Amino acid sequence: MTQYEIIIGLETHIQLNTRAKIFCGCKADSWGDEPNTNICPVCSGLPGTLPVLNAEAVQKGALLAAAMHAEINPRSIFDRKNYFYPDLPKGYQITQFFEPIGKGGYLDLDMPDGAQKRVRINRLHLEEDAGKTKIDHGVRLVDFNRCGVPLIEMVTEPDLRSGAEAAQYLTQLRQLLRWIGVSEADMERGHLRCDANVSIREKGSTVLNTKTEIKNVNSIDAVRLGIEMEAKRQIAEVEAGRKVESWTLDWDAEKGVLQKMRSKETEADYRYFREPDLLPALLSTTEIERIKASLPELPLARKARFISAYQLSAYDSDILTSERGLSDYFESTVAAYGGEPKIVANWMINELLRLIKEKGLEASQLRITPLHLSEIIRLVDSGKINAATGKLLVSKVDTTGQSPAQIVQSEGLGAISDDSELIAIVDAVIADSPKEVESFKAGKESLLGWFLGQVMRRTGGKADPRRARELMLERLK
Amino acid sequence: MTLEKITSELFEKLVELAQFSLDPAESEYLRSELNHQLAAVKELSEIPIDVAVAPTTHGLEVEGAASRADEWKLYPNPDSIIALAPESEEGMIAVPDVAANRKTAQ
Amino acid sequence: MNYTDLSAFEISQKVRSGEIKAVEMVEAALAQIAAVDGVQGQLDYKGQDPAQDDKVHAFISLTSDLARSQAAEVDRKVAEGDDPGLLAGVPLSVKDIFCVEHTHTTAASRMLANFEPPYTATAVNRLTQAGALLVGKTNLDEFTYGSSSESSAFQPCPYNPWNPKYAAGGSSGGSAAAVAARETPLSLGTDTGGSIRQPSAFCGVVGLKPTYSRVSRYGLIAFASSFDCPGPITRDVRDAALMLQAIAGSDPQDSTSSTVAPSDYRSALEQDVRGLRIGLSPDYGHISYPDTETGEISYQAIQREVSQAVFNAAEALARAGAEIIENVPMPNSRFGIPAYFVISRVEAASNLHRFDGVKYGFRTTHPFNDLSELYRLSRAEGFGVQPKLRILMGMYVSAAQHAANYYQRALKVRAMIRKDLTDAFNPKGAYRLDALLTPTTPTTAFKRNDVFGNTVLMQYSDQMTVCANHAGMPAITIPGGLDQAGLPIGIQFIANDFREDLLFRAGRAFETATASAAWRAIKPIVLSNQQVIS
Repeated sequence: MTQYEIIIGLETHIQLNTRAKIFCGCKADSWGDEPNTNICPVCSGLPGTLPVLNAEAVQKGALLAAAMHAEINPRSIFDRKNYFYPDLPKGYQITQFFEPIGKGGYLDLDMPDGAQKRVRINRLHLEEDAGKTKIDHGVRLVDFNRCGVPLIEMVTEPDLRSGAEAAQYLTQLRQLLRWIGVSEADMERGHLRCDANVSIREKGSTVLNTKTEIKNVNSIDAVRLGIEMEAKRQIAEVEAGRKVESWTLDWDAEKGVLQKMRSKETEADYRYFREPDLLPALLSTTEIERIKASLPELPLARKARFISAYQLSAYDSDILTSERGLSDYFESTVAAYGGEPKIVANWMINELLRLIKEKGLEASQLRITPLHLSEIIRLVDSGKINAATGKLLVSKVDTTGQSPAQIVQSEGLGAISDDSELIAIVDAVIADSPKEVESFKAGKESLLGWFLGQVMRRTGGKADPRRARELMLERLK
Repeated sequence: MTLEKITSELFEKLVELAQFSLDPAESEYLRSELNHQLAAVKELSEIPIDVAVAPTTHGLEVEGAASRADEWKLYPNPDSIIALAPESEEGMIAVPDVAANRKTAQ
Repeated sequence: MNYTDLSAFEISQKVRSGEIKAVEMVEAALAQIAAVDGVQGQLDYKGQDPAQDDKVHAFISLTSDLARSQAAEVDRKVAEGDDPGLLAGVPLSVKDIFCVEHTHTTAASRMLANFEPPYTATAVNRLTQAGALLVGKTNLDEFTYGSSSESSAFQPCPYNPWNPKYAAGGSSGGSAAAVAARETPLSLGTDTGGSIRQPSAFCGVVGLKPTYSRVSRYGLIAFASSFDCPGPITRDVRDAALMLQAIAGSDPQDSTSSTVAPSDYRSALEQDVRGLRIGLSPDYGHISYPDTETGEISYQAIQREVSQAVFNAAEALARAGAEIIENVPMPNSRFGIPAYFVISRVEAASNLHRFDGVKYGFRTTHPFNDLSELYRLSRAEGFGVQPKLRILMGMYVSAAQHAANYYQRALKVRAMIRKDLTDAFNPKGAYRLDALLTPTTPTTAFKRNDVFGNTVLMQYSDQMTVCANHAGMPAITIPGGLDQAGLPIGIQFIANDFREDLLFRAGRAFETATASAAWRAIKPIVLSNQQVIS
């Protein structure tokens, strides 16, 4: 039976998080705004208007290029891509065809089996977004709010080999975009859009066969699914003796299927030529150096460092570096704590992430600080509070903003470490539960947990569970 | 000898690209003028290009303020832009797929 | 005192001093327009009235109320001792290719017949802020495509005030005619391949194409974005210098506007031409002319009286102290038109993409069955033949398979044309010119309908002007005499980037040297007729 290989290249459109659009002063993000309220004569393409480049878009584009290890073009040039569509008011899109801002580069993927795979980047370029159309009762309704939003289009080489790899690429890309602060990269809000080019070939072959293009996938899962479905379809075609044609396929999110859109043969000639209304986007050598130097430690490097410097597992390290603020938080806590990083990791992965999810915030936005967290851990270490109290404190500190020590004192949360107090309570529980004592002595050992639960209740959770268990066993004899 | 670079077939393709529809008289006139202009442009392909000279897009090298600061500047009157549209609905520009779907009489 | 005989300079002086009121100037301009202009250009004009035959038809629309309110404001400033501006009280007309808020800005096309932009072009704003009074929008070739203004969808098109049977030239024909017929002393035009200078030469007025990027293009409906220059059309050099002073300078809304500071053009006027090196080129003594069937090139000398006028001008300047350097080679100038055909069409076709019937302008009222048909009908009905031709040419030469042969090559030729000029102006070169003196056009005005329709022949009337557009350099046309038929001859000076001061100097010196020339006493026939009538 023939073994096939799937060849995938991804084209992503990334919405930059500048304040203003790329060629005019309207807002860059107008998600949820009323239609046609975030427009001006320039982005609406009124006759006689001219584009003026937003410097920050160039800076962010260059930063992304640097993070992708691409070569930054010190003199990138804008071109016009000419075609007709109602959501393209000028009848051309301003993009960078001949001299993009970034060339080459790569992203290393951390695959689940532990291996790393390098995905090469072909190019990155700046361009403006088009507006939105929706069809309603046979009428096309056009909203220009999104016209002129700054985008980076990034194209990979056809290095990906599965839907899973494509998903991993997008996950890491999204992480990176947020990490360096150039995009919110929220696929549901269209900050990150992806088209996939898919083809197949026999394993061992080196030719590239006809590819199809999958468009309009709105989630990472959909990308993976769509690719897998399309690969299956292409294999079926080839096995049936037919040829794969260069279709464009639209992902229907509701139905979860791919629909044929249009044949690539009739694609328009865009007649690219240099945009005469704009000057080249210049970046001096000093500026480029500064941009490269401003790059923080990137996710993969940080993940590796956490593994080696803190002896964390790959799994833990992965979670702690999923978001830059979180990893910063972790390191600050480790520094403040001074003890074993693994302990901090556990606390963060279990307690802090829960809080983050609950509150819908980022680590850096929490009221509980790394210092607070390190205090809590040390309090538990020293036995001053028990672990359960520690967990409770995490929420309490975040809600009140008070320090752990303050809360422990004001609410009397200190662990009961005094044996005499604890013995008294254990004895009280035994005295109050004669039936259970009988059952236990008769052999139902599982009741120990119940007894302990009672002790914990009566101590308001402040008993040290281990000591309580010891005492309980002793006293039950 | 007529250099007819633009045949009727090619002309039709150009008209399609340009998104026009022309009547036969206009078509013939335009096609013939295009061919005349191309004949005039023929010399371009024969000029020995001085390779030492780089192509220029504006003549002079324009010294301009190539970019602006990243600031939101609210355009106070977006309604005045939509008001220019031949047809609009609920603040959006309306393009009926088919003329029959027009809401407003023209 | 006949107000319409005053220059802009004189008007502004008298208004600033309170001698004349701005409101009086408006009425004088409107009265002159009423006397000589006849019907304004309109869509689907079928008029046959012979009384219109000897009118100028420079305007598409008048903005009397606007002008009056602007005038009232100027007068108020004068009364209160505030500065009313450099051009206080000067009536102004503007080519209807500039967006002006609350006016119809039509580009002389059905496509924009009812278009009212919500903003005003920078150049126009600067003029009205300097106190000029906007009395109306002048007629032009549709979307500025042409060299006779005959292609306007708003007929009658402008007639030449010197002989109404002749074309006013184009594309700024209305502007040049309005100035020649004393309707307004100033008009704002645009020059892409010669569209200020050629009609100015045909109409016997001064027309300046500034350095590309000298004046903001914001609000100018674009033809060829890398060539378009807004510029002044006036009756004398001093007025042109004043007008340029008001409009020059960088604009944050136009990335391609230059941050090089404008000079003091008025002080340049006072300098004479002693020691100035002015060149003459044999390559501007003829036009090279392709056979439209075979493409074979033939050479034709320019009209004898035109070359004589240039020669006379050289002599006059030499007598004034300039050094004349002959035989300056401009070997690539003959490729100016072919290269222009290509580059300008690529940009024009793209600039016209936005006119699709969707969001402004004309939308077809005929039935359509899909989006593409909406586009095709709207564009077919909205555009006249000349825009269609430019669009198709642009499509062809920029198509993927042709771009290298045509567009890319033309860009190189453009650089070679510029190099001819930079070599001539190079202070360390063989010629070290301050300015080049050439004819503005190969012939004087042609009769209306004579050339229209023959687009190659029409374009070649721009052969002397187009090289300055390729190079981006400034050039000015000055009235240099009249031919035997009584039609104006224009002489042109071209200077290096941002050296409009040299153009004003040379032009002013020539004006001074020929101040008492017999031909200067002759007025355009529409004015003589006017005097006969009144």
